[in-house]
Amino acid sequence: MKNVLAMILAGGRGERLYPLTRDRAKPAVCFGAIYRIIDFTLSNCINSDVRRIYALTQYKSISLHRHIQLGWNILSAPLGEFIGVIPAQQRIDEHWYQGTADAIFQNIYTLQREMPDLVLILSGDHIYKMDYRKMIALHLEKSADLTVAAIRMDRKLSREFGVIEVERDWRIVGFQEKPEEPKTIPGDPEGILASMGVYVFNTEILVKRLIEDARSDSTHDFGKDIIPAMIGKDRVFAFDFNHADRGGTGYWRDVGTIDAYFEVNMDLISVTPQLNLYDPQWPILTYQSHHPPAKTVWAEEGRMGTAFNSIISNGCIISGGSVKRSILSPKVVVHSYAEVEDSILMEGVDVGRYAKIRRTIIDKDVQIPQGTEIGYDLDEDAKRFTVTGSGIVVVPRWIRL
Amino acid sequence: MKKRILVVEDEESLRLLYEEELKSEGYEVLTAGNGREAIQQLEQGMPDLIILDIVMPVMDGMEALGRIVGKERKIPIILHTSYSGYREDFMSWAADAYVTKSADLGELKDKIRVLLEKGKAR
Repeated sequence: MKNVLAMILAGGRGERLYPLTRDRAKPAVCFGAIYRIIDFTLSNCINSDVRRIYALTQYKSISLHRHIQLGWNILSAPLGEFIGVIPAQQRIDEHWYQGTADAIFQNIYTLQREMPDLVLILSGDHIYKMDYRKMIALHLEKSADLTVAAIRMDRKLSREFGVIEVERDWRIVGFQEKPEEPKTIPGDPEGILASMGVYVFNTEILVKRLIEDARSDSTHDFGKDIIPAMIGKDRVFAFDFNHADRGGTGYWRDVGTIDAYFEVNMDLISVTPQLNLYDPQWPILTYQSHHPPAKTVWAEEGRMGTAFNSIISNGCIISGGSVKRSILSPKVVVHSYAEVEDSILMEGVDVGRYAKIRRTIIDKDVQIPQGTEIGYDLDEDAKRFTVTGSGIVVVPRWIRL
Repeated sequence: MKKRILVVEDEESLRLLYEEELKSEGYEVLTAGNGREAIQQLEQGMPDLIILDIVMPVMDGMEALGRIVGKERKIPIILHTSYSGYREDFMSWAADAYVTKSADLGELKDKIRVLLEKGKAR
């Protein structure tokens, strides 16, 4: 895999995840108590033996830089391995990235320097476990110029995805971005093939097509412009995610909205989550600072430190309060008589005595004063916080209550 | 209307030579001594084609090429250099043609004619 260079598009603003993305890009949003969203893509790379990786950042990138610098400094430079972060640097042009294809085009000098045979283009926004080696093997077997990873979705969801049209041998013959009337899978009229934003390109073809695109009126996007332009001209194939899905459950999520973010997190506290984080053959790596183990204290009548059906990270203290069906990042403290239910508490959150928290996401380091109720009167909550359509309250970072 | 060509070339004698030769072909010729001057020229108005040397002081042709196509996506550009090795640079593929400098300007003139014809069709 030494001839493969991974380029992770990590500049997503994630506007629909606001206010979680107020201070950080979408790939840097916390997920599953101790991870950042980008950890899944980076772990997939490492576990697939892809060890030359650049993450391309743009907006609000400090948090992501810090995370990668602290947590992902694990490869061996003498062996030619690296995880580098490239901020948008206006190397070619004096504007920010105009689209996914422009982000790669603007880094054409990096491709020149690394000179890989294949470029693996990934998104830092998705949560899934995939062995990219399987996809690369198919790419080589088919002598493809471009291979696009595809996942089966219900045809009703076509307006959310780039929809791939294939022939029986999975050669791509059409690609529509978010169509109303999608082309379905041959032999499966209720299914569509959605593009996962995972591409394997032969480097030379990639460069040529990027240049053609850069020199034309275009939105400079892989889905809207590059792939449609290549169909019929180049050898473009789809790759079935099922053949490389390390979880075996077809799990792939674009955590696009707060509601989706909440659901995907909450899946982790079920008895058998769809996303298995316990596979020793496919570890998900992250950065963690050192904290003492989680603990519960107080076991008196009416003052019991308890946690049920929850994820409790290191450094947490459940001190005479109760936690149910919740996800606690490191260093969360729940004080006596407080109740936390169906909530996500990020690092350093402190829940004061007698506070009651329900169906709420609380961002880092927020102090919840004694007796505060959140998630019980949504009209009242909406005066101070973001409340989603399905009634999830989000308490942003830096808020003083 | 005469077609306007911008010649970007740091060596003055060559610049004058190309200017004379192209004028006698019936083109209007603008000149610049390096990439930065070329980009400044473009702010005054667009030529129909650019001939770009690569090895130049201040800003070389390869860097100017990226900046120009980023702004003016469709203007035809000919890289005109004494060195053939730059063909291997990915960025050089962004030019419409790559012509190695020679005493005989035949190839350069042919490429100019073809690209301007193509430009008409666009």
